[in-house]
Amino acid sequence: MRRSLRYGWGLAAILAAGPLAAQTPPVLERTLSNGMKLVMVERHDQPTIALGWMARVGSANERPGITGLAHLFEHMMFKGTRTLGTRDAKRDAELNRLQDGVQAKIREEMAVLRERQRRGEIPDMMDPRARTPRLEALLKEFDALVKEQRALVVKDEMDQIYTQAGATGINASTSEDRTFYICSLPSNKLELWMWIESDRLANPVFREFYSERDVILEERRQTLESRPTGLVDEAFNALTWKAVPYTWEVIGWPSDIAQVTREQADEFFATYYAPNNLTAVLVGDFDPDRAAAMAERYLGRVPANPRGVPPIVTLEPPQVAEQRMNADAETTPTVTLDFKTVSSVHKDAPALMALAGILGGAQAFPGRFGQGGAPRGRLHKALVLEAKAATSATAHFSGMRYGGTFGLRAVPGPGRTPEELEPMVLAELEKIARDGVTDDELQRYKNAAEVGFHTRMESNTGIRETLSQYLSAGDVADFRAALDRIRAVTKEDVKAAASKYFPKASRNVLVVHRKGAPAMPRPGSMPPSMPKGEVK
Amino acid sequence: MKIRVLIPALLPALLGAQAIPPRPEALAFAPVQFRTPSAREHQARLKNGIPVFLAPNGKDGAPLVRITVNWKGGGYLEPAGKEGLATLFGSQLVLGGTASLDPAALQDRLEALAATLTSSCAPTAGSISLTVQEKDLQAGLDLLVQCLTAPAFAQDRLELARRQARQGLSRRNDMVGSIAGYLQPALLSGPDHFSAKQPTAASLDAVTREDLLAFHRRLLHPANLVVAASGAFDRKAMLERLDRALGALKPAPGAQASPVPPAPAFQRKPGLYLAAKDAPQAMLTWTLPGLRRTDPDWHKAYVMNQLLGGPGFTSRLMKKIRSDEGLTYGVYSNMGPGPHYRGDITGSMQTKNRSVAYALRLALAEMARLKEAPPSAAELQVIKDGLLESFPAQWGSKQAIAGRFAEEALVGWNGDWWQDFREKVQAVTPADVQAMARKYLELDKLVILAVGRKAEMEAGDPDHPGALKDAAGLPVTELPLRDPLTLKALDK
Repeated sequence: MRRSLRYGWGLAAILAAGPLAAQTPPVLERTLSNGMKLVMVERHDQPTIALGWMARVGSANERPGITGLAHLFEHMMFKGTRTLGTRDAKRDAELNRLQDGVQAKIREEMAVLRERQRRGEIPDMMDPRARTPRLEALLKEFDALVKEQRALVVKDEMDQIYTQAGATGINASTSEDRTFYICSLPSNKLELWMWIESDRLANPVFREFYSERDVILEERRQTLESRPTGLVDEAFNALTWKAVPYTWEVIGWPSDIAQVTREQADEFFATYYAPNNLTAVLVGDFDPDRAAAMAERYLGRVPANPRGVPPIVTLEPPQVAEQRMNADAETTPTVTLDFKTVSSVHKDAPALMALAGILGGAQAFPGRFGQGGAPRGRLHKALVLEAKAATSATAHFSGMRYGGTFGLRAVPGPGRTPEELEPMVLAELEKIARDGVTDDELQRYKNAAEVGFHTRMESNTGIRETLSQYLSAGDVADFRAALDRIRAVTKEDVKAAASKYFPKASRNVLVVHRKGAPAMPRPGSMPPSMPKGEVK
Repeated sequence: MKIRVLIPALLPALLGAQAIPPRPEALAFAPVQFRTPSAREHQARLKNGIPVFLAPNGKDGAPLVRITVNWKGGGYLEPAGKEGLATLFGSQLVLGGTASLDPAALQDRLEALAATLTSSCAPTAGSISLTVQEKDLQAGLDLLVQCLTAPAFAQDRLELARRQARQGLSRRNDMVGSIAGYLQPALLSGPDHFSAKQPTAASLDAVTREDLLAFHRRLLHPANLVVAASGAFDRKAMLERLDRALGALKPAPGAQASPVPPAPAFQRKPGLYLAAKDAPQAMLTWTLPGLRRTDPDWHKAYVMNQLLGGPGFTSRLMKKIRSDEGLTYGVYSNMGPGPHYRGDITGSMQTKNRSVAYALRLALAEMARLKEAPPSAAELQVIKDGLLESFPAQWGSKQAIAGRFAEEALVGWNGDWWQDFREKVQAVTPADVQAMARKYLELDKLVILAVGRKAEMEAGDPDHPGALKDAAGLPVTELPLRDPLTLKALDK
């Protein structure tokens, strides 16, 4: 993208808080000459700044074979640059090339093992006992290169410089739709942030690439596979999404994580980490004009990608039939009903959030927020307090960039089954589709949602995280309009949403029973589509 | 998407006169002025002596008020056979309704105000917390005071909480972390210490509504309470309001000032303890006797521990075990401040079963290395600067300031403690770090617990040969899992 001369500097300081959104903090927006956006909120309560920049790339931009790459990238971005992270940039680059060469040969051997696994000659190509002699030799060769490089590496130098400068919350996160790199710094260190972030965008070096794949496999074991329902949830999600690339988890399939190459990473970076796909968020104690000028000087040097980012063109086709999964897992039994809905910036999203709030007491924000305060909502009243059939019953709208889900979940009490709860949950939903909601419950939902919004506006990091949720699927205008959209929902909107998004053919039902638990008496209310003998 | 503003091309050219320095060390920063908040400046007392810590908003605050009443007393006061009483008391203080509002009516009032009122009780202390809009402060505070002084503990809500708690117990053996969570306290403090007492289905069943009422009467004493308030209010007006609400509170009949939680009287048996669980990743923890925050060694030992296993990527454990070896998502060493008795230094990580032995050897080697040689001045400076420069962020919100001072007052800590924190950290030398490592990282006193697939853990990793039993040079003991509802040992 070429720099434009159309606007003068005098226009650069437009403060753009919408007139109706007086209660959202004022947000300033600027665009750098290379297309990178700056989003700024000034707050001078304490001498710190919450900082972050978001790449509009997530697991939705992947494809089979490179699943997990967006998240691997998040890890690689901490490994340094041509300047940071090594004592000898030249030898470091040579060693990276040599490592790539050995890894290419290792991939040949992995292909041999994959073929053996395909033919059933070995059970698991990742098992060290399955290695070929050539693979063993190559791994030794590779290890020697890693050792040599390690002697040159200044370990996690970027992190050390930040830590020494008083940074807190140095982190990054990847979702289906975006990757966000964050930290908070004392207010005098803004220029340090500009230096480091522009350096890692302009001159990144993905060193320690191959060993980081192992860290991610451990992360996958810890955060997904070790959870009693982690693998079940992963499979249920894959069952729910057919076409839109939300099918795989952000962390990716293990086979892909273990085989991804630096060449694939380089291509991914060139496509998605260009400044015209990035937005920086600054919240706290700074002067916006000076910050914008500094950003132009530092971040403005990163070249734009004139090709732009390939759009995701796939639309999720309408679901044609109810889908069910019956799982045994080491946990309390549950029933979950997921319906595919809409993006968090869709015009129906505020009504779906209100529906979730009224049914399940969930808070009214896009993204995957948890719930707060005492359990409330119609489901809790009906299933937990009145029928005493459940110990928990919740509803949740989860909006992403290209679609969303509406989830209903209930945990049966002692002596009750998930199958008994399913029709009870659906009955509450159908009641709203038929009779609507009351003025009072809608107003209460709105009040709770507004207070919930304000609790996020109490700290620099809270504002940064909330902004990032809106920017992930939309833009600053969506943040500014957040409270107005909550306020504008009518009873008719909620009733219409409850009628529109929940036909039987759109249901995805997950029933979890405790693994190894003795059979429960079969309830009479079991749905007819449940195959006999499946329920333990 | 519309681009609202473009910075003109001219500007970077002008700014180009200021070249970007080749390395970040060349940047210069104006000093940040930060005065450590003082407990005394935030503290007041109600007429009956209850301490209050007040932190009103500056000009950028949200239109919300938060009030928390903390109390001394918790699980350590439970009668034998009623384990779980304090937890049920904690949740039911709000969820069980009050003398004049049944649970549904109370919830209804809170929803009408869009206020959040929650309560909970831990092993040594508990709290009830209100978040309310500025305009509804008095109505919200009235509800908090009702719950605090006249809770009803409605029977049907108690039954629901019992069902939910029992369900929680049933998940005890589902994850390596929760197994370590119930096995570890008895190894550290002995099975009879309150910290190792855990509810069973039977002890939950034994808790009656009368027990909750008696527990409440016992705790409701001004000497047990400390209040924190933050948010959108005027300090003087808030103090008057709190005095009207709580300043006349007198000890309930039978109320007692809660005693100090007892220290464990237990001789630890150093060793490597194993528990078998079929899981893709094992949980590994190790514990050494630490110290209290009031100890003269504290700041030096704290810096030593930060260098060994503090948060982030800068610690030696993280660099070695995650960054170099790719064996874990995270490895940390934490130094407990010991509010009532000596704290512990506890390390933890999760790693695939076959890596446990190697990862443990690496962690122990890092501890030994710190004892053998002092860190370089440069390495220590990174750690110290990190603590000093991030210090203002520790006081990042009004809620954090009021909350920290109130919690410290609750355990009787000196409110001036933070005033010289930065000077004491700055004074720590490389020799101090080595001396602290030698004094506190006594590897023959380690209590190590590994939960995972036993055979895989014991065999170790063919790429880094070595059996688990040889990793620490300590006796190996296998611990049985326990029945999740009765805690009776299960067959191995």
